[in-house]
Amino acid sequence: MKKFSNTYIFLYITALVVVIAVVLTLVSTGLKPRRDRNRQAETYQQILRAAGHDIDRSKAVAAFANLAEPLTDDGQQYRVICADGSKGTAIRLDGKGLWGPIWGYAVVSEDGQTLKGVAFDHKSETPGLGAKITEKAFLKAFEGKKLYDKDGNFVSVRVLKAGTASEIAKENRVDAISGATLTSKGVDEMMQSSIHSSQITNHH
Amino acid sequence: MKKYLGPLSKDNPILVQTLGVCSALAVTAQLKPAVVMALSVTVVCACSNFIISLMRNTIPPRIRIIVQLLVVSFFVILVDLLLQSYLYDVSKMLSVFVGLIITNCIIMGRLEAFALSHKPFPSFMDGVMNGLGYGLVLVVVAFFRELLGSGTLWNHQVVPDSWYAAGYLNNGLMILPPMALILIGVIIWAKGPRAV
Repeated sequence: MKKFSNTYIFLYITALVVVIAVVLTLVSTGLKPRRDRNRQAETYQQILRAAGHDIDRSKAVAAFANLAEPLTDDGQQYRVICADGSKGTAIRLDGKGLWGPIWGYAVVSEDGQTLKGVAFDHKSETPGLGAKITEKAFLKAFEGKKLYDKDGNFVSVRVLKAGTASEIAKENRVDAISGATLTSKGVDEMMQSSIHSSQITNHH
Repeated sequence: MKKYLGPLSKDNPILVQTLGVCSALAVTAQLKPAVVMALSVTVVCACSNFIISLMRNTIPPRIRIIVQLLVVSFFVILVDLLLQSYLYDVSKMLSVFVGLIITNCIIMGRLEAFALSHKPFPSFMDGVMNGLGYGLVLVVVAFFRELLGSGTLWNHQVVPDSWYAAGYLNNGLMILPPMALILIGVIIWAKGPRAV
């Protein structure tokens, strides 16, 4: 076997690390505007999805300008026109999944009583299990759910294991995803921590 | 060509070399992520095999693992950045797998066992074939898990609603990782020591 001196080894690894770091930094910096634009378009698409519009990401920025306007400067709330023509408030949701952050938007009807729709996304939930929170089948269950219980108390919408006995009424809950208990729990907590009764009564 | 076909069956990375099993458990609940994962592993394995093979005579053996890790990570990060910029939807699908690609034993295993001692082109082919051999098992496992666990294939429902109405239930165990391990065990058993 060929002999390598310590000096060679040090120089070799240093040079390799420097080259890799420089190339990756250049690529990352050079592509940043593109990545940011993609992310922005995705956020707009998500808000529109929560309002019931099925719009391609490439058209999301243009459509967003017509259908939504920000209510706050920090991107937390928007006023949107829903697919059925009614107006609603889109509220930013932030929470924790099993492996990383989960987020999304919930659109609340103008009277603040009903959920028009939701859209979720996640960083690293398990495909086929937790990642199902982004699928239509799960999201559809949220449409038309009530945010207040029969006695007028604010409960948001709960995500609970299907079939479990609970004092939470059907109109205030959706079924969790089987096999994804912790991600479902994350969505449940996110729905409660991100939507407050004060937000949904403020803007009309 | 024939000499490169080993990884598809008689030298299959999962079934015979038993490498890359962890990711095979994680991404086979549905067909789509399984195929995406198989393709990404194939690309990264082939390209890092090629580059390490080009460098093989300059790499000091004492730090070869570090050098291999650097090259593989460089490659995975580069691909991830390019996907995020130009193929955003694919990158969304891949996000969770990127870390898994770096840690996939098949890649390091092939670098150690093949690329360090062979010329660039055979190393590249070895990476491609091992990636495909890995993908083959993933697709078979994912097919059964998605079909029996969710009643769908490639996210399209294939079990008719009338079956559900008649009392048919999806097998919840299928979508959990232990079932993937059992399925891989069954495939290893079915394949046996046959050298086909």
